[in-house]
Formats: sequence, C-alpha cells, structure tokens
Amino acid sequence: MLNKLKTLACVAALALSSGVSAQEELKIGGIGSLSGGGTAWGIALQRGVQMAVDEVNAAGGLKVGDKTYRPKLVMFDDQYTAAGGRLAADRLINSEKIKFIIGPIGSPSVLGAMAVTTPAKVLLLSNGFAPSILKNEAKSPYNFRAMNSTVEFGPAMVKWYRDNFPNTKKVALIAPNDAVGQAVVPQLEQYYRDNGFEVWKELYDRGSKEFTPLLTRMMAQGVDLLDLNSNAPGEAGLILKQAKQAGFKGKIWQVGGPSVDEIMSIGGPLAEGFISLNVFDFNMPEAKKFLATYRAKYGDGVINAQAPGWYNAALNLFEAMRRAGSLDVDKVRDTLKKLDGYEAGLFGPVQWGGMGDYGVNHQLLLRFWIVEVKDGKIVTRAAISPEKR
Amino acid sequence: MSGLACAGAAIAILILLSWPLIFNNKFYITIGTMVVLSAIGATSLNLIIRTGHVSLAHAAFMGVAAYTCVLLQMRLGVPFWLAMVAGCLASGLLALILGPIVLRLTGKYFVLVTFLVGEIIRMIFVEWQSLTGGANGIQNIPPGLDIMKTPTGFYYLALGAAVVCVGIAWRILSSEIGRAMDSVREAEKLAECSGIPVIKLKITIFVISCTLVGVYGILQTYLLQFIDPSAFNMEASLNLVVMNVLGGMYYLLGPVLGSTFLAALPELLRGYVDLQRVIFGVILIVVMAALPGGIIGLMEALRRLIQKLTAGKTS
Amino acid sequence: MFTLPILSQVVVNGLSLSAIYVLVALGFTLLFGIMRVVNFAHGAFAMLGGYALFYAYGSFKLPYALAVFGSAFTVACFGLIFEYLVYRWFYQKMFQSMIGLMGLNMAIVFSSVMIWDVNERTIPAAASGILSVWGLTIPMDRLVIMGITIVVLSLFWFFVTKTRHGLAMRAASQDVDIAAAQGINTTFIYRLAFFVAIFMTALAGGLYAQTYALSPFIGERPLMVAFIVVILGGMGSIPGAALGGVLLGMGESFLSTFYGAAVSSFVSFGVVVALLIFRPWGLLGKPE
Repeated sequence: MLNKLKTLACVAALALSSGVSAQEELKIGGIGSLSGGGTAWGIALQRGVQMAVDEVNAAGGLKVGDKTYRPKLVMFDDQYTAAGGRLAADRLINSEKIKFIIGPIGSPSVLGAMAVTTPAKVLLLSNGFAPSILKNEAKSPYNFRAMNSTVEFGPAMVKWYRDNFPNTKKVALIAPNDAVGQAVVPQLEQYYRDNGFEVWKELYDRGSKEFTPLLTRMMAQGVDLLDLNSNAPGEAGLILKQAKQAGFKGKIWQVGGPSVDEIMSIGGPLAEGFISLNVFDFNMPEAKKFLATYRAKYGDGVINAQAPGWYNAALNLFEAMRRAGSLDVDKVRDTLKKLDGYEAGLFGPVQWGGMGDYGVNHQLLLRFWIVEVKDGKIVTRAAISPEKR
Repeated sequence: MSGLACAGAAIAILILLSWPLIFNNKFYITIGTMVVLSAIGATSLNLIIRTGHVSLAHAAFMGVAAYTCVLLQMRLGVPFWLAMVAGCLASGLLALILGPIVLRLTGKYFVLVTFLVGEIIRMIFVEWQSLTGGANGIQNIPPGLDIMKTPTGFYYLALGAAVVCVGIAWRILSSEIGRAMDSVREAEKLAECSGIPVIKLKITIFVISCTLVGVYGILQTYLLQFIDPSAFNMEASLNLVVMNVLGGMYYLLGPVLGSTFLAALPELLRGYVDLQRVIFGVILIVVMAALPGGIIGLMEALRRLIQKLTAGKTS
Repeated sequence: MFTLPILSQVVVNGLSLSAIYVLVALGFTLLFGIMRVVNFAHGAFAMLGGYALFYAYGSFKLPYALAVFGSAFTVACFGLIFEYLVYRWFYQKMFQSMIGLMGLNMAIVFSSVMIWDVNERTIPAAASGILSVWGLTIPMDRLVIMGITIVVLSLFWFFVTKTRHGLAMRAASQDVDIAAAQGINTTFIYRLAFFVAIFMTALAGGLYAQTYALSPFIGERPLMVAFIVVILGGMGSIPGAALGGVLLGMGESFLSTFYGAAVSSFVSFGVVVALLIFRPWGLLGKPE
C-alpha cells in the first residue's frame, strides 16, 4: 500500500514537472571576458543578456511561430584574446549547437570568433571596433554590431565640439599602442581635420602609467584640447590627473570610454570641466525599470554602462525571432535587418546604419549622450543620434 | 622499455591517431589540434633547454616565421608550402644572427637578454603597421592547403607535423650530439676541455630549435586564420617554458606531456582559470625545488622505487 | 623644443621618475647580492605592498608615515612565510630560482585575483597640490616620494655600513662560507636580508600603487623596471641601483619628451641588451 502511494506520488511529481518544462529550451550563446583585464565588460554582457532572458521568460517565454521557447544564456570566457574568442565560438557552435551568439567584445576576439561563425552561418551580434568585422570581401552577412563604434559617435561628437568651442585650434590624441588605439586614432584624426582642427598624436606602450614626459612633449606643441579617446578608464584618469598636475591649461575630453566615474575617482577636483561620451543615461525616466531590476538581481555595485546595450541587443534579437516566426538563421537575419522602428525601451526606435562606412546596414545606431563634470557631478549636455551614412 | 611502458605508448598512439573519430565534434577536434601544435613548440624549446639555456624569446621567433609566411602568401601570392619553408628559414636565420651574440651569456643573463629581445621583436610587430597590420594584425587568412579546410584534416596535418618535429628532436637527442648537449649543460668548462665545440653546438641547436618553432607558429596562425602580435608575447614564451618544466625538462616526452596539460586543461576546466594558474605556479615551485624531472621525473622515481621494493621482496 | 624651461622641466620629471625606480630596484638587487636569487616574484610583493597600503591608508586611515612604513613592515613579516616555504630552497641556485620564483609570482598574482578582483582601485593621495617654482611644476605627492626615497636610501646605507648586522650581511654577500666560519649565523642573516628586501619592495609598491593604480597585475611594470635598473647599475650593488634608477628615469624623461614614447622604449631596451652582451655585470657591479 505504502509502495503504491509512493509510486503514485512519483508519477504525479514527474507529470507536474514535465508539464512545466513543456517549453523547449532555446540556447543563446554569449562570449565575453570573464577573467583577466576585460572582466568588467564580460560581466556587463552576461548580466545584460541574462536580464533580457529573464524578462522574456517571466512573460511566459518566447513565442516563435506556433511554438514557445524558454531562452537560456550559455556564456563562455574568451580571456579577451583571439584564440579564446575562436575556441569559445567553436564550443558554442559545435558542442552546444547554438546558432545565435551575442558578443564577443574587442576586435581580436570577434575576429577570432568570425573564423568559425561565418562558415557555420551563425548570427553574431558583437562589439569590436575594427571596421573589417562588418566590412570585408565576404560582406560578413551574419555579423552585426550591437553598439556604436568610433565611426558612429566620432563625427557627431567632434562636430558638436566645434560648434560649442569655436576657438579651439589644436587637438592632441594620446592613445595606447594596441588594437583599439591603432584603429581609432586615424579615424578620429580624419574627423578632427574635417572640422578644421590641427591634430597632434602620440601612441604609448600599453602598460605604461607615467605620462608626464609625454604630456610635457604635448604642451610644447601648443595644444589647446586633449582627447582621451580609446584609453582604458584607469589610464584616462591618470592622463587627466598628470596633465593637470603638469600645468596643462587646455580642455580635456574623451571621444570614447566612457570612463567618467574612474576619472572623477582618480582626478578628484582636477576632473572639473571634463567632457565625455556616455553610452547610457542612468538618470532618464526610461532607465528606472532597468535599474530596479538590475539592483534587485545583482546588488548595489557599479553598473557598467555597457550592460543596457547588451540587454537591448538581446531584446532586439528576440523580437526578430518573433517576427520571423522561425529560428532559421537566414530568416532571423533578414528580419533583424528590417527591425527599424522597433522600440525595446531604452534607446528609442531601432535604427540600422553603416552603409556608407561598411557597405552593409548592420550597425545598430544607438542614441548617446555628451556629459560634463560640473561641481563634482555628472551633467548631461546633449543627447545625440548618429547620422545614418 | 618495460612492458607496461610499451602498452602505455601503444594506447597513447592509438588515441592520437583516432582522436577525430572518437570525438566527432569539431570543438574537441580543434582542442586536439591545439594540443598537438603546442607540443611542437614545447619540444623545440626543449632542445635549447637541454643545452642549459632557457629562452624567453621563443614566441617571438614563432611570430617571425608566422608573419613571414602570411605576408609571402597573402601579399606576394607565394604557394603555401614554399611560404612555410621560407617562414621557418626566416626565424632560423634570425637565430643564426642573434645566436652567436646571446649564447655567450650564461644562465640568468641569457634569460634576461632573451626576455628583452622577445619584447623588442614584439614591439616591432606592433609598430610596423604598414607591414604587419600593427596591433590589429591581419585577418581572413585563407587556408594554406586544402587539407586545412576541415577540422579533421587540419588535425592530421598537425599530427603529421608533430611527428616529424618530435622525430627530429628525438634523433638529435639520442645521438652523439645529444650526449654532447648533456655534457655541455652539466659541466660546460669540462666539455670544452674534452674537445666539444661548445659555442658552435649551442648555436646549431638554437637555430634548429627556432626553425622548428616556426612550424608551430605558422600552423597555429592558419588554424585561427588571424595573426596579431599578442600571440607572440612574453606570456606565450613563458607558457612554453612551463610546459617543459611541468612535463620534465630532461625527457623527450616531457614537453609533450606538459603541453597536453597546459593547452587542454583551461579549455576543459572552464571557469577556474585563476585557480588553475595558482596551481601551475605552485607546481613550478615544487618541481624546481624538489623534482627537477617534472611529471615524468616523478613517474620515473616512482617506477624505480617500485622496482626497488619488489626486488627487495623477491631476494 | 629644446628650450631651457622645457629642459629644466625634463630634469625635474626625470628626478621624480628616478625616485620611484630606485625604490623599486633596491629590494631586488639586495636579494641578488646577498642570496644570489633572481626574484621573479618581486612585482608580486610590490603589489602586495600596494594592497597593504590601500588598507592602512585608504581604509583604516592611519597617519601617512605610519601607514607607509607599517604596511611595508606587515608585508615583510608575511613574506617571511614565503622565505621559509619557498625561497630557502633556491639560495645560491640561480637557474632553479628563476623558474621557481616565476611560479611563485603566478601563484601570488592569481591568488590576489581570487581574493580581490581584477578591477583597478585607487589609494588616496598623500598630498595634493602642485609646487610651482621658477616656472617648473612638481606635484606635491611626487615630492613626498622623492623625500621617502632619500630617507630610505640613507637609512639603508647607515644599516649596511654602521650596524653589526649590516656588516654581517655584506660579509655574507662576499663569501658565505667564510662568513659562517667567522661565526656569522648565515641563516639568520639570510632571513634578515630577505626581510629588509621585501620591506623595501613593499614600500616601493605601496608608493607606486598610490601614484598610479592598484590591481593584482600592477607588479609587472615594477619587475621590468627593477630588472633594467639593476642590469644598468649592476646586480647586487646598492649604489648601482641608485645610479641605474637615475639613469633610467632621466633617460626616459628626456627621450619621451623629445622623441616620443616608441623611441624611448626601443632605446632603453636596446641599451640594456647591449649592456648585457658587453658588460653584463653593469656599470658598478663586479664581474663573476
């Protein structure tokens, strides 16, 4: 009798649990740096995408065609290297049988991953600055860039500066001698020249933290504006602090980053008047819900400003799947390209662009902000949408 | 070799040959390829270590060969085989030029000089943007050979290359030259007095070693289809040294074993990268302090201990 | 470009750089001079000194002098554990020490990653403000570092020339067996030398972290600097470390300001390589 009851209970439990998991799992791949120097960005990706996944699941799942799926994020570490990106992509595609990947961050990793994703026809929503990720002979049909690169926010920002500070003549570009620095400095140089600035540039060896001799060299050139562009947040803060300590009287700003929190932390009162790009305005009313959810799940630590961008990317991907009514990669890709106008909630309506720069419209054009440090607080000066070129 | 060792070797060979068939999964095949390739690199460094020098510039020589091959193939249309040979010759040539200068230095000075030379070469890769693409490197490298187009094909190519390279190392080490190398390492002045041309020997081995590591660099690059300077930095050189020390510096299979650990473990034990590195560090300390023979040395010591115990029992 | 104001500023910048470089190199050269150990874990101890100062000055808010010397002292005491566990197997064994200590470096750095995270932290500055005199600018915190360097160098010089233990250390560095035969307790002397070396390294690390940034990986640069300074000046020579530090600091300031960062890096490395080939014992060292 007792045995019969036990069996009944087991069967009932099984029936109940299988009823709940009637939805099929939809694995979404994530690649980002979870160890080493780039961890902050990797975690931003992981959390942003996870928040989107949680939101979809809480609403009952992702309805694609006549099936409902339960999305799940499978995230692998790429250690911010090309080989790591490639292995992570390899594992996601071949071991986990995943067809949609969000990430990686950083050109070397994306380029490494591409070697596997392109022949396997896997959709890649990444954030590497190298233009060749979107633009190449293969026309990279499955690659999309989920966030603005310098090509997207640079021209508008430089033009803004020219309009607001008409008397500035010479700008200094100091950047690290790594993949991002070497890619970004020539681009920015062009934008500055187009707006009537003279440009002086200097690349330093990554790992150096002493910039005083370089800054002395810079000041001897009669520079009146210093652009911190692609410097990592720590270095950006040190350059600002050391420049002010060396007596630099010109203006300092950053077409890149954002590193505003670190700069304020390292520079203290010296950061007054610093202007920067910001990729997300945590103070705007649309951000409230995102902030509340993040805080509830991940606590009170610093939120990396890239997390909302990845949240947005994931939501756009899910919407494309919904509209396509299928999980076939080609169909989803075609629908994703036509997603203009869809509002995921944080960045306004989706806008694809980039035809002029890359030959394909696979660049997500996100709204961004220009902020300034005034009296120890971050103040928004302008909200800008990138041009559709 | 004892019966047990023969059986072990047979099993290992069987696994190596049928790896892609056991794991019909592209990811695991690629891991296998990476392990096999790093075995080439570690074994080539082993030759230099056997003469008593630890080089921290080995990854830089890899880079020289790899960039040469890629540039010849992509910019000048040279067929792959030729480009690969040219690449290896390039790193060998550089070793021939630098060797006589740096090999005169002993122990710690040699390590320091190779550390600096490796950094200088890496900085050249980064700075010479027009040639090497700078820190962004060169992408979309086309497969050099048709066999490279599938993971299984590449695996067997790598395995073939590894067999050839390890074979060359084995022939050198088990010949007169190998014995000369051992005597140079253990008592250099004495070796010189007995007529061994020490400097010539060291340079020859250095050149051969740097030529062989070119194979590793080139195949690795074509596997990733992407080349950038960060693959040839101090950390990469250090990894090759660790593979040797871990596995056993004074045994032929030491670097092979070490590379299996170092290349495969991080991938298979995903998620504990920091802890792994701490453990590797501790193992290095222990090996250097007490077990100079590495893992193989440990196994050898155990085997001798067991022999002694069993011999004691029968008598 | 080569005007007097700029040249004088270059000299001032160079001195400020030299101060840090000398401090960083002292502990490294001492360990080699006495125990013939190439301390590849040098950067790791500097980094630990940084975290110690972070807690002493940033969290516990102790008065600055107490924080700086106290945190260095604490790290040196903690370091004695490693002396017992690791270093004493490697004394007088150069080859094994290099690789074994590389392993120790890895172990300490990645343990730190697990304990603290990889994110960069800042330690509040000791003094804010800038000294502007005769058209030259020196930030106050750099002046403080220069002051500390002079104090530490003088204290150390006093120690090795005027105290009993200091003289015993010098005897042991010249010939450890004869020193033991003369009744010097070499184990104790080794421990003392180790303690002093780590103390200086942690002190330098704390100041380095305060000037720049703190993370588990900041020790890499001090290690490289220590190598270069000590090769320039001579391994095992304290005056050599001072000379090497000044040469490197001045050289970097001059070359970076007038010719840019790339030239400065290539030239420094090139000079060191040349020195290693032709005169590996450095400018003030002794040929072995």
